[in-house]
Amino acid sequence: MDRADIVHEAFLERLSSGVLPEGAAAEGPLEAEEAVAIFRAQCLSRNLDRRSRKMQAQGQGYYTIGSSGHEGMAAVASALRPDDMAFLHYRDGAFQTRRSAQVPGTTPAWDMLLSFATSMEDPISGGRHKVLGSKALNIPPQTSTIASHLPKAVGAAYSVGLAKRVGPEHQVLKDDSIVMCSFGDASSNHSTAQGAINTACWTSFQSVPMPLLFVCEDNGIGISTRTPRGWVAANYENRPGLKYFHANGLDIFDTWRAARAAADYVRCHKKPAFLHLTLVRLYGHAGSDMQQTYLSKDIFEAWEAEDPLMHSARLLRDAGVLTAEEIKAIYLDAEAQCTRVAEQVVTRPRLKTAEDVMASIIPPARDCAPSNGVAVADRENAFGKSDLRAMGEPQPMSRLINWALTDLMLEHREIAVMGEDVGAKGGVYGVTQKLCDRFGPDRVIDTLLDEQSILGLAIGMAHNGFVPMPEIQFLAYLHNAEDQIRGEAATLSFFSNGQYTNPMVLRIAGLGYQKGFGGHFHNDNSLAVLRDIPGVIIACPSHGADAAKMLRECVRLARVEQRVVVFVEPIALYPMRDLHDAKDSAWMDMYPAPDERIALGEVGVTGDGPLAIVTYGNGNYLSQQASKMLAEKDIQTRVIDMRWLAPMPVDGILNALEGAEKVLVVDECRTTGSQSEALLSMLHERCDLPSSRIAAEDSFIATGPAYAATMPSSDSIADAAVKLWEGK
Amino acid sequence: MAKQTAVVVAPGRGTYNKAELGYLARHHADKADMFAQFDAFRAQTGQEAVTALDGAERFSGAKHTRGDHASPLIYAAALADYQAIDRDKFDILAVTGNSMGWYIALACGGALSPMGGFEVVNTMGTLMQENLIGGQIIYPFVDDSWVEIPGRRDQVFAKCADISARADHILGLSIDLGGMLVLAGNEAGLVAFEREMPRLDDRFPMRLPNHAGFHTHLQKPVAEQGRARLGAGLFGQPDVSLIDGRGAIWAPKAGNSQALWDYTLGHQVYEPYDFTAAIRVAAREFMPDVFIVLGPGGTLGGAVAQSLLSANWRDMSDKASFQAEQAQTPRLLSMGREDQRALVTG
Repeated sequence: MDRADIVHEAFLERLSSGVLPEGAAAEGPLEAEEAVAIFRAQCLSRNLDRRSRKMQAQGQGYYTIGSSGHEGMAAVASALRPDDMAFLHYRDGAFQTRRSAQVPGTTPAWDMLLSFATSMEDPISGGRHKVLGSKALNIPPQTSTIASHLPKAVGAAYSVGLAKRVGPEHQVLKDDSIVMCSFGDASSNHSTAQGAINTACWTSFQSVPMPLLFVCEDNGIGISTRTPRGWVAANYENRPGLKYFHANGLDIFDTWRAARAAADYVRCHKKPAFLHLTLVRLYGHAGSDMQQTYLSKDIFEAWEAEDPLMHSARLLRDAGVLTAEEIKAIYLDAEAQCTRVAEQVVTRPRLKTAEDVMASIIPPARDCAPSNGVAVADRENAFGKSDLRAMGEPQPMSRLINWALTDLMLEHREIAVMGEDVGAKGGVYGVTQKLCDRFGPDRVIDTLLDEQSILGLAIGMAHNGFVPMPEIQFLAYLHNAEDQIRGEAATLSFFSNGQYTNPMVLRIAGLGYQKGFGGHFHNDNSLAVLRDIPGVIIACPSHGADAAKMLRECVRLARVEQRVVVFVEPIALYPMRDLHDAKDSAWMDMYPAPDERIALGEVGVTGDGPLAIVTYGNGNYLSQQASKMLAEKDIQTRVIDMRWLAPMPVDGILNALEGAEKVLVVDECRTTGSQSEALLSMLHERCDLPSSRIAAEDSFIATGPAYAATMPSSDSIADAAVKLWEGK
Repeated sequence: MAKQTAVVVAPGRGTYNKAELGYLARHHADKADMFAQFDAFRAQTGQEAVTALDGAERFSGAKHTRGDHASPLIYAAALADYQAIDRDKFDILAVTGNSMGWYIALACGGALSPMGGFEVVNTMGTLMQENLIGGQIIYPFVDDSWVEIPGRRDQVFAKCADISARADHILGLSIDLGGMLVLAGNEAGLVAFEREMPRLDDRFPMRLPNHAGFHTHLQKPVAEQGRARLGAGLFGQPDVSLIDGRGAIWAPKAGNSQALWDYTLGHQVYEPYDFTAAIRVAAREFMPDVFIVLGPGGTLGGAVAQSLLSANWRDMSDKASFQAEQAQTPRLLSMGREDQRALVTG
């Protein structure tokens, strides 16, 4: 017999016999009607769980991870406001059913059963997942299994205070909203959770507003691994800047008391709190998890004996709020309701085609109020005389990016920059110099040293109408945090059916060719980690004017089209001034007028020779040098700078190849997994021109004189070009 | 036959017309005691007895559709209909209503006693009549098949915004009513809409006689007077779930009666009433076998059906699929229609 049925029978039997588990009497400020509302939400959540298992048994449901044992979360929902954004643990069905009852017009049973059935009409994911979430309820859907939603909760909480001052056009949270995130005892150990909690503490410790409520749902076990007794409390009772609250999660009165106290503390003091709920897990981790294979029966039967619904029944009965008959009626009504609704949801249409599934990878565009531009005086004031004077001369890329950032932040108050050393120092390479002076430390945020937290800050702020421009100091530092892009930012539109978005422009200083500096952890030449993420745009400028114009397009793509954009800045080209000869200044540009943009997909072409070189970034710089060498050998080239690496600008490249006879692909990234693989595949599929490539070795980068030894050089490019050209 | 589950829908103003004259006497002779209490209340306030109005020799539009007459008449008829539902055949899951039907729903569901409900209805109906601020018009946005005409709603709302932007013009949404929009405003606003919108079926825009600008801010003074006259003590816990004009569910013992009073004599009076949402919530969340629309009259059935279609309830998507389902398995039973009444009362 399914444990869900055993627990169901036990509830009815013990309710009928009157022998309910012992516990403290109902105490505290929770009022009777609110307690009944909580109990109703608990019963609905419990019966939704049980129904999901029935649906799966009938081949009509596909995923059964449930909330049974964690129904105390209904009391947490009651203690919060529906406008408090909630990033939920996957066991928080009761939080959602309770919050639904607070928001008129919502239909929790219908909505959640549609999700179980993976119907296209599932209002949160459009049938892409069984996931908690709702736009109307301020519950963005989460992949909460490894607590990867905590960094963004920190970001959303930070955004509340800034939004109050800045007033972003697409602000979601109220000025006195708080943010809540919940997670299990097991996932509290995850580095992502630890990082997020640490970031909240670090922020609070220096009295920066952080209205964030962490809720740890401690059922004492993570799938099969027990949490040491007392571990969660010992970990979080005495953290700097974080106030700890505890409640018995099986007791709705105690849970509501603690949750309300914690929420009041967070709302009033704008400081984070940690609400620790102890509760139980019923019927294993998920439907497919056979807990009897790793737990003795005594243990899970003891948990079942502490069923929170039995505790609620006892509390309500003993307090004279409901009779046993009324309790039974509420429970059975919920069961019948779920049965009736489930019969209908399974008739609703499901996703079928790849097109159906992919429809929400790219979010919908949103209306943005037209900008009136920036007043001349404001601009002059922001830039200052020295920068305005410098605009009369060609400048290297780092300076032009800095100016583009300044103009963009002047025009769009919802832009904020965050990263390690981006503020007072102005970035390791000076790209963000003076921005902190110009826009203040709350829009140019010096973060702590944690890339997951930087990206989480950006994602969370974007949930509240900001257009964040996080910076990752070196490409190699992205890797410890890339799940924040891959698993979180990039998937949000996909499984919220385009309803939730986190537009941003992620700036990353990267790629190789820094002369003798840094070795492999400051010179990473692989973008493979970004290239395969559906929906993510990757831009990579090769010189300053392009960088300024592309950055403006990236901000437009984020701000209006709500895209996640990665802007890879080649470090070696930041200060580059000359191309062929010392002091030729051929790699510097005048600052382009603020309204000039390079559109997504638009490639750059230099020359019109029959030998085409398709490249990007440093490869463009080196290919320009090689092109001159080749011209001296009477080989005329055209150098095509992709500019946009993802999505690949196929049409732009093919148009630029019109009239070309051969194609050399030059790729500064490693042979395996690099752009050149995709380029050669595309050329093979889409045109008949002979082609070859030169790419970096599958090696890490050394420091010292051999810093560029593993990557294409202008000489090796010229050699490869000659070889290809003369092969005809 | 197994009991069917049902959601009950109480009608609003405009449902007691010529054909309904004598409804109380015709269908509810057994409830004379309750009507006598209503009449006694009216006697105290110097108003004509409900039974006298119902028993009038002929229907008078000017008289019977006045707020202070129509409201108590409709209340008496609808509450009596509710009491006449055969409970051996139907389990009632929830009660909702349209506009003043909310007051009736409160009484059906037990949150107001029959007399408490009468007091609320009679008071609010009288206040509406005394103040008679503004009026209502109705305009459809679905075609003959009950399928939404693309852009029509937006067109209506754009026109409302356009008219309201003019000096001394007020017009806005009053009720989302299935395939219809009920708009309310002042005379200037109403006339502008009537003059400037395309005339449909030679009927719409249709002015609703003796109706005030319900569910708009025009009614704020009425709400204030209502709150002064009707205490929160009249309101208690319902014994069946109620679904209000926002689609919020008031479950037994799970809501605050002060909050129920506050909504009923506040938001409900002067903010738009979303009947479509109420039916959508009823349909999806309670998934009853049938909807029972209380009498008098049968005109609300169309709005209920249209609301069900817009909620994709039981796979019905247009008038034809609704009628096919209705022929196979009646899903909508209107007690104001003789042919369906017997199915409900047994």
